[in-house]
Amino acid sequence: MTATLPETAHQQTDKADKYARLIQPTRVHGSLYTDPEVFAEELERIWYRTWVYVGHESEVRRPGDYVRKNIGPQDVVMTRDRDGEVHLLLNRCAHRGNLVCDAPSGNSNSFRCPYHGWTYRNNGDLLGYPYNKGYGGKGKLALGLGRLPRVASYQGFVFGSFASDGPTLTEHLGAAAGELDRLARLSPEGEVELTAGWLKHRTRANWKLLAENETDGYHPQFVHGSIFSVTGSPIGALYSDNSTAVTRDLGGGHSENDLRPEFRRFGEPMRWFGTTEDRVPQYVARMRELHGPAAEEILVEGSPHVMIFPNLFIAEIQLFVIQPLAAGECVQHATAIQLKGAPELNRRMVSQCVGSAGPAGMLLADDTEMYERNQRGVALREPEWVDIRRGVDRERTDDNGFRIGTATDETGMRGFWSHYRNLMEA
Amino acid sequence: MNGNEIVGSEFAEVAVSVDTTANGPRLRLEDRRTGRVRHLDALELEALVWLPDGHLSRLLDPSADRWREDAGS
Amino acid sequence: MTAPATTDDTALDLRQVEQFLYREARYADEHDYDAWEALWTDDALYWVPAGAPDGDPVQQMSVISDNRSRIATRLGQLRTGKRYAQSPPSHLRRIVSNVEILDDDDAAGPGRVPGDLTVGANFVLVESRERGKEIWAGRTTYRLRLVEGRLRLAYKKVVLVDHDRALPTLSFLI
Repeated sequence: MTATLPETAHQQTDKADKYARLIQPTRVHGSLYTDPEVFAEELERIWYRTWVYVGHESEVRRPGDYVRKNIGPQDVVMTRDRDGEVHLLLNRCAHRGNLVCDAPSGNSNSFRCPYHGWTYRNNGDLLGYPYNKGYGGKGKLALGLGRLPRVASYQGFVFGSFASDGPTLTEHLGAAAGELDRLARLSPEGEVELTAGWLKHRTRANWKLLAENETDGYHPQFVHGSIFSVTGSPIGALYSDNSTAVTRDLGGGHSENDLRPEFRRFGEPMRWFGTTEDRVPQYVARMRELHGPAAEEILVEGSPHVMIFPNLFIAEIQLFVIQPLAAGECVQHATAIQLKGAPELNRRMVSQCVGSAGPAGMLLADDTEMYERNQRGVALREPEWVDIRRGVDRERTDDNGFRIGTATDETGMRGFWSHYRNLMEA
Repeated sequence: MNGNEIVGSEFAEVAVSVDTTANGPRLRLEDRRTGRVRHLDALELEALVWLPDGHLSRLLDPSADRWREDAGS
Repeated sequence: MTAPATTDDTALDLRQVEQFLYREARYADEHDYDAWEALWTDDALYWVPAGAPDGDPVQQMSVISDNRSRIATRLGQLRTGKRYAQSPPSHLRRIVSNVEILDDDDAAGPGRVPGDLTVGANFVLVESRERGKEIWAGRTTYRLRLVEGRLRLAYKKVVLVDHDRALPTLSFLI
């Protein structure tokens, strides 16, 4: 034991040195996107340790509801038990490791493995197994489904952590929690629902290219110029040099593109949604009835554009979950945000999200093309580094102590990498 | 016979109907995977409603009744 | 075997229908956006479901759910040449087969007009891009309408065999 200690410490230092070398304040090394060893270390240090977004409570509304989810390559079943508690279970029978649940979703208070009939409660407890004399009788096995030791939710967003202890979800979310509040307050009933189903977009690129792009206000005019020119969309202007929007490093790897300064400048309710109040009269009336004069701020400022480390991205009306599978492969899961009590908005959000997101989306398919070309590019030998310096010299600190840059600056990316490095060196 | 609905999941599939061929109505349950049928009368159903959750779970233990070494088939 | 129990009329219809489907497929394979767009009626619906193949495209996410106006937007974006997911365009060839005239009108979506013809067919499609080769396959349900003596497309629903799996980018016309 004593002999191994110095070696372990030595390995730790090596690891710290490695990531300090690869992640510098204004550039990161291309191998971070391509090296299978880095990916394996990310699984251990990020995906199987920190809080990761898994699902939403509205996806398991009733007792007995379950839905298949994931954390990276891990197959996770999100369940709601009879007492209303939400569990995150690993979909692996304690007997021989068979997958227990096969359906993408369903309602069952217990799960019976199809291989040998071992049966579990939907909180993971082993309830029994056939012909129990072979095990010395009933209740002789201290086994159960694997489960995430920590499950917590905020505004219905369910996060899980494979670590038994560590920062709480509230600590992990930090200022990003306020963005989820901002989203929920757009619902007349204060609740977000994710009930529109999912698009699953297979992407041959490293997950971090997606996380970085979510906070990149520099690319829309280029990558999305084709669709903006056809639809006459004003989105491009939000991410121009003249934009008053800001990129904010929210800490903890989270960041936002805060478009509120632009929306406040116009002061038009529902402009954030690309429409006017007369097109969604019932919703606007209901919000005014509920909030009085305070409704104007809500209706003008709209929905957040926030990347919550490491895998949840909310872009106003749509929500993306990043699932890494290998250094060069991930799946983007996309759905339309649905606001409880706002049917007028919900249909439009589905329609807009279908138009923009997913494999055929008029926005996201082009982003994905860039991720995949980017992945091939970073594998080339020179110039080795990926540059993240944009706006570093004009960055400033806002009234709340957060670093902010202009709409097109890489402030959010630098925040992402700083947190990533902390986790990888830990 | 009134209605014939399936209550199914990936784990089990049971056809449910109200049988009116007897002197009073009964719930007819058919395990679609084996064809085994069970009728439950009103009093039996009421007992199920009042069954504590823990008791119900014990019935779900595969060895409790259905898959036991000493069970006659 | 006795003679097929179809009248000459039906036989003629099927042949016309097949020719129409093959033409539509060729326009899509060859990125002939103008010719493809001209096939559609004004009440068009072009639908590729995701998840459940019979979900409600108004309330549930779809891979594609385009009305006539969004078809125009999609093609407009392709015509810019800067729809990067399709620039350069994919090399495509598809086989359309098992063509059947269906009398199941429910299968052909809302907005059916009397006289519309519902047709089902299977397809296999090979897409080649620098990224690699993809094989796409599925079942298409078409609703065709005779407008001023010419067949037009009012509805096209494509259920991919992979509809509930993670799909790679699908930026061409399927």
